Amino acid sequence: MDLWQLLLTLALAGSSDAFSGRENSSKKPKFTKCRSPELETFSCHWTDAVHHGLKNPGPIQLFYTRRNAQEGTQEWKECPDYVSAGENSCYFNSSFTSIWIPYCIKLTSNGGTVDEKCFSVNQIVQPDPPIALNWTLLNISLTGVHADIQVRWEAPPNADIQKGWMVLEYELQYKEVNETQWKMMDPILSTSVPLYSLRVDKEYEVRVRSKQRKSENYGEFSEVLYVKLPQMSQFTCEEDFYFPWLLIIIFGISGLTVMLFVFLFSKQQRIKMLILPPVPVPKIKGIDPDLLKEGKLEEVNTILAIHDSCKPEFHSDDSWVEFIELDIEDPDEKTEGSDTDRLLSSDHEKSHSNLGVKDGDSGRTSCYEPDMLETDFNASDIHDGTSQVVQPQRLKGEADLLCLDQKNQNNSPYHDACPAIHQPSVIQAEKNKPQPLLTDGAESTHQAAHIQLSNPSSLANIDFYAQVSDITPAGSVVLSPGQKNKAGVSQCDMHPEVSLCQANFIMDNAYFCEADAKKCIPVAPHIKVESHTEPSFNQEDIYITTESLTTTSGRPGTAEHVPGSEMPVPDYTSIHIVQSPQGLILNATALPLPDKEFLSSCGYVSTDQLNKIMP
Amino acid sequence: MNIEASPWKGSLLLLLVSNLLLWQSVTPLPVCPGGAVRCQVTLRDLFDRAVVLSHYIHNLSSEMFSEFDKRYTQGRGFISKALNSCHTSSLATPEDKEQAQQISQKDFLSLIVSILRSWNEPLYHLVTEVRGMQEAPEAILSKAIEIEEQSKRLLEGMELILSQVHPETRENAVYSVWSGLPSLQMADEESRLFAYYNLLHCLRRDSHKIDNYLKLLKCRIVHDNNC
Repeated sequence: MDLWQLLLTLALAGSSDAFSGRENSSKKPKFTKCRSPELETFSCHWTDAVHHGLKNPGPIQLFYTRRNAQEGTQEWKECPDYVSAGENSCYFNSSFTSIWIPYCIKLTSNGGTVDEKCFSVNQIVQPDPPIALNWTLLNISLTGVHADIQVRWEAPPNADIQKGWMVLEYELQYKEVNETQWKMMDPILSTSVPLYSLRVDKEYEVRVRSKQRKSENYGEFSEVLYVKLPQMSQFTCEEDFYFPWLLIIIFGISGLTVMLFVFLFSKQQRIKMLILPPVPVPKIKGIDPDLLKEGKLEEVNTILAIHDSCKPEFHSDDSWVEFIELDIEDPDEKTEGSDTDRLLSSDHEKSHSNLGVKDGDSGRTSCYEPDMLETDFNASDIHDGTSQVVQPQRLKGEADLLCLDQKNQNNSPYHDACPAIHQPSVIQAEKNKPQPLLTDGAESTHQAAHIQLSNPSSLANIDFYAQVSDITPAGSVVLSPGQKNKAGVSQCDMHPEVSLCQANFIMDNAYFCEADAKKCIPVAPHIKVESHTEPSFNQEDIYITTESLTTTSGRPGTAEHVPGSEMPVPDYTSIHIVQSPQGLILNATALPLPDKEFLSSCGYVSTDQLNKIMP
Repeated sequence: MNIEASPWKGSLLLLLVSNLLLWQSVTPLPVCPGGAVRCQVTLRDLFDRAVVLSHYIHNLSSEMFSEFDKRYTQGRGFISKALNSCHTSSLATPEDKEQAQQISQKDFLSLIVSILRSWNEPLYHLVTEVRGMQEAPEAILSKAIEIEEQSKRLLEGMELILSQVHPETRENAVYSVWSGLPSLQMADEESRLFAYYNLLHCLRRDSHKIDNYLKLLKCRIVHDNNC
């Protein structure tokens, strides 16, 4: 309620003021402008007072003072001339005008000051408009459409230009008669200016205004000058040709948009491929990336083994050398001599540490199963000293040529027992447990013997024999991916060896080194431990170590022997002739699996013969 | 004074660039060896350059004054308080055209030189004080520096003209002493602002005077009253 009361009071006060204003002089007179046209005189104008009331207000008076410290105290003087400048004005002539001295003027009415203003004369300069505008024709274009003219004028007469008291600059504006907007030109100091390219058939208006060069205020505009150009030809002019920029831009943009949409939504793969070629994702054929993630190296190895093209790569020196070199930590090993020595010699230097090194090498495709090696390592660690001493050879053998070394594997099981003939699984079984083999010879034998009767099929995945594909310069053996070794070993030599051999030497893909061949051929009824190896060969790959061969080398064997029945050997050729410890003549039978690279790594085959075999 | 420097930086840069561009055309007055009988630079050229300089100085001081007024003293009604208390008022300068026409040429030139000399010290102090201000207004400071620089040049030019037109004139040391430095350093803000206002107002006025006088003299001497 208080707010409303306040508002009501204010409204009343306002209205009363307005009401009272109507009675009295409504508007106070105010200074409108003070102006000096030539910097020698000046005049001031004010608004007329509006009288609505009965009272007759007193005359309005103007008082001025010059604030000049030298003149002593300021005193207000009345306007010297109320008339010359018109009504409601005060005119100060040159005697009253001092340029750089501040003036203050005030307007009074009924003794009361109505308005007050202070200024310096040099700040209120507004020159008069120029006079005597005229134009002359400069030239007409060849087409007769356009023309140039020169516009001239004169400075306002009261501005003293000649003595340099004032320096004026001018601004010219022109337009066609029908237009509303004036075109402005830049300020110029001279009193004439050319206008170019005016159309002949149109009429123009020109006006000029001036200003003091240093101040901001322009004077009034001059009178308008009409320019009518002479028309030379009677023909009407054509419209100017305007280059259709807009049309071109529009069409260009629309065309580009259409092309863009065509590209984007086109079903043509070719076009799309051109613009956005697909990025190939890396992958290996046949390999499921999940396999690698799960870490099932066995399957991966198997798969990789299938890719024969991978074999040589895997057997390339890089990964193998890497692997082997880690094996060969002792420099002595590099001084080793022949391959045979490397294969057969008892490298005491080979430490247990070599075993468990290669775990993560996925490029490794061999029977060097990481599990086995690790277990070997662990086992060997567990059984330290004694086992090391006892089984250096065996250990070494297992380490290097796990798959190839059949000496222990073959010998040991047959050492004690004379198990059944067909025990292809025996060896596998033996192979399955290298750990017990390594730990203790006796134990291994026992265990091996025990294992002989064990489940043969438990080791389907583990390669017992590996094909030696190459021997590296370092002296180690490069093994090819292992295949199932179904080599059965005939335990007993009760069978005639020849027949045994023949029966057992199903050499589909068996490659025999000399010793093995020798085993078959001379059938010695006696069974020796070391020469006991008579592996029965199935139709599958059989790997025979040179060691095994050499062990049987001591056997008396006829040089000539009935060659084993020639059977189709996928990977390996059958032994044709065993001539000597130096070589084997192999049947150049057709290899059902020609894509398998057949690398002689035995060292006991003469090269020519080997060359015959090689596809 | 609470001065915002940031809004002025743009204008300062623009002004500096424009100054540089402007002053490309106004090379320093080639100084003729003092007392040389023949000088390569004609009197007309000297006057032309002097006029350009004075015009430039006046523009700068006008801008400086309006900036100062707009920023600090707008609406305070200082103009009404501003007495004609410029320190150069003691010099007998012509106040209108008639007086200017009556004064002799030689006196006129000497007068201009005196005015210019009188402003050496105030300009120097103005620059120092503005520079030492907290949050010194960049635009005002730069203009003050420029005015100080150019007025020195103009003084040299005028002395040269004087020596050419009136070689017999002895070097007169008449100039007004400025004693407004204490008022610029007053603690009271209102008084200090008024002191600055007055100084800048006087500077604008005197630069306009000098510009006018030079134009008069140029027309009188070079063009024989027929510009």
